[in-house]
Amino acid sequence: MNERIIKWLVLAGFVLAIAFTPILLSAQTKMLQVKGSDTMVNLAQILAEEFMTANPKMPIAVLGGGSGTGITGLINGTCDVANSSRDWKAKELDLAFEKGVKPRLFAVAIDGLSIIVNEKNPLAKLTMEQVGAIYRGEVKNWKGVGGKEMKISLYGRQSNSGTYTFLMEHVMGNKPYSTDMKEMNGNAQIIEGVLADEGAIGYVGVGYVVDKATGKALKGLKILDINKTANGTAYSPLDKQAVDSGNYPISRPLWMATNGTPKAVAAAFLQYAIGPEGQKVVEREGFYTVGGKLQEQNAKNLK
Amino acid sequence: MHLAKRFLPILLVTLAAITAAFGQTPPPQTFQATIYFDYTAFVTSDGYLTSNALTNKFHFRRAYFTYENKINDYLKFRFRYDADNTANITSVDFAKQTTKKDDKLRPFVKHIYLEWSNDFLQSKVNVGMIETLAFKLAEDRWGYRSVAKTLLDGYKDITGVEVDATSADLGLTWKGTLFRQLRFGAGVHNGAHYSHAETDKFKKFSGYLQLVPAAGLNIIGYLDYEKQTDDRKAMTTKVDVLFDMVKNLNVSFEWFSYDSDNMLNSNGTQYKPSGWSVFGTYKIKPDKLAVFARYDRYEPNDTKADDEIGLIIAGLDWTPMHGSWKIQPNVWIYDYNDARKGDVIFNMTLFLNF
Repeated sequence: MNERIIKWLVLAGFVLAIAFTPILLSAQTKMLQVKGSDTMVNLAQILAEEFMTANPKMPIAVLGGGSGTGITGLINGTCDVANSSRDWKAKELDLAFEKGVKPRLFAVAIDGLSIIVNEKNPLAKLTMEQVGAIYRGEVKNWKGVGGKEMKISLYGRQSNSGTYTFLMEHVMGNKPYSTDMKEMNGNAQIIEGVLADEGAIGYVGVGYVVDKATGKALKGLKILDINKTANGTAYSPLDKQAVDSGNYPISRPLWMATNGTPKAVAAAFLQYAIGPEGQKVVEREGFYTVGGKLQEQNAKNLK
Repeated sequence: MHLAKRFLPILLVTLAAITAAFGQTPPPQTFQATIYFDYTAFVTSDGYLTSNALTNKFHFRRAYFTYENKINDYLKFRFRYDADNTANITSVDFAKQTTKKDDKLRPFVKHIYLEWSNDFLQSKVNVGMIETLAFKLAEDRWGYRSVAKTLLDGYKDITGVEVDATSADLGLTWKGTLFRQLRFGAGVHNGAHYSHAETDKFKKFSGYLQLVPAAGLNIIGYLDYEKQTDDRKAMTTKVDVLFDMVKNLNVSFEWFSYDSDNMLNSNGTQYKPSGWSVFGTYKIKPDKLAVFARYDRYEPNDTKADDEIGLIIAGLDWTPMHGSWKIQPNVWIYDYNDARKGDVIFNMTLFLNF
């Protein structure tokens, strides 16, 4: 057989491989890819594990990376469900529209975003304005907000984090963070930083700072009460009623998003997460259950 | 490049001043290397490109090294080296009036720019040696720069005809969103590309309007204009249609025409190069496996009947383990309108990104 025929046979084999690969792969079981918010990663992992226990033929993989990473993944088609601890930004909605992605959002839990300090810090509460001023770098000493003479050490997340964006939009008046802030990889790293640093302040989802046995803050940490205004009453994120009523001013829904109406495994998983069993898991993990209008919206989006 | 050298200190001083103004903590910085490495084998041996002693080779087509510095939520700085192995002059012997060349991979500056993102029309302003507006959107959709440039970008490589299209140039661009259904881009730059210094007073003006009438359907009209001399001009008109309405499938169309008063046949009549391309990608398993295919039609001279070139490119994109490296086997099939015999070339492309 001459060399030219061999080359043409190799080429024909390559073309056939391109043609038949989709058919061979379609026979494989597809794993639901869930990606995004680090605030939600533990919750989503536990929801997925319990769902898979009841539905062993519906595999789910959960990854963190931050809300921005999950949203980008859904837009680029590299995940099926995007977790985010903030609303989608206008530019993300525009990009999704450009790329033919139609996001459907499901609120799976409510988080009381918690402002934490070291337990040795005598301060018990702050106003929203004070939290904003601290993170913008306008107040650099605890004395400036009624505390003791001590330099403030800022702990926060990286910019792909939904919590980073949420705090900037809702507390900091959309102004940039102080460049003195230490940008940590995740909630656990913020907690470690605050535990080790008497002058520290950090922000994390309530599910990360609650001792599930006692319902109180983890040892070594203090969760500050937050006032909407200087004259108002300060509320704790551990107070479910205050979070539900909106009196605790920095609560937020935690979202799972799909491209269009969820189907097959995605539909079953979301139905589970927003249903009574999933909401029990939400409560057990220290977050708050979803009710009222958000659940009505969830039900609409499932159809 | 001379201008680039003059521009760099200004940018670095600006960057240092901005950094100092925002505090002492080092901002997030990233380093990234992107490399395209091929094993190429000629399937035919009697075509226009394939009838020579070379039948196969290993080669690096591109190596990029990128440094990015996110100064804050609104400002970003990028410095990118690009390296290719197009014959470089390495020494000049003035006595013998000869030069020496080699094909070593040598870096050159591709990007040095500051990017300012702001909330006004969700816009971005880029200043420095920047990406041009000409084919960025088509290239993003094609997504396989590691396999082939898009039609306008690679036109000169395929036809040998210069259509004054470059991926980077010195100047500034402004991109933004008027409505969800309407985006825009505008730019002004030297028009001398990133590999040459500006030699005349004329600047290239470019702009596009991107219409998104329905989710996943994009229609983009692009125009650039530059005077070549006081009485001569050049203009590129381009249309892209990007179709993303089926999950994991993208089908796109690109057409362009280049109209330059400098493009004259030997009898003095003007000719216009043009071309069109249709390409599609399908993600069989996102992040793991995709297939891509493309057909390009090149018309280097609209006054000649037999100079058209057709090119089919098809291949697989396989990520066996981690997204930092991919294997992209692909085939290129050339068809010439004139008497030249067609070529079939197979590439085993390795894409690396660290």
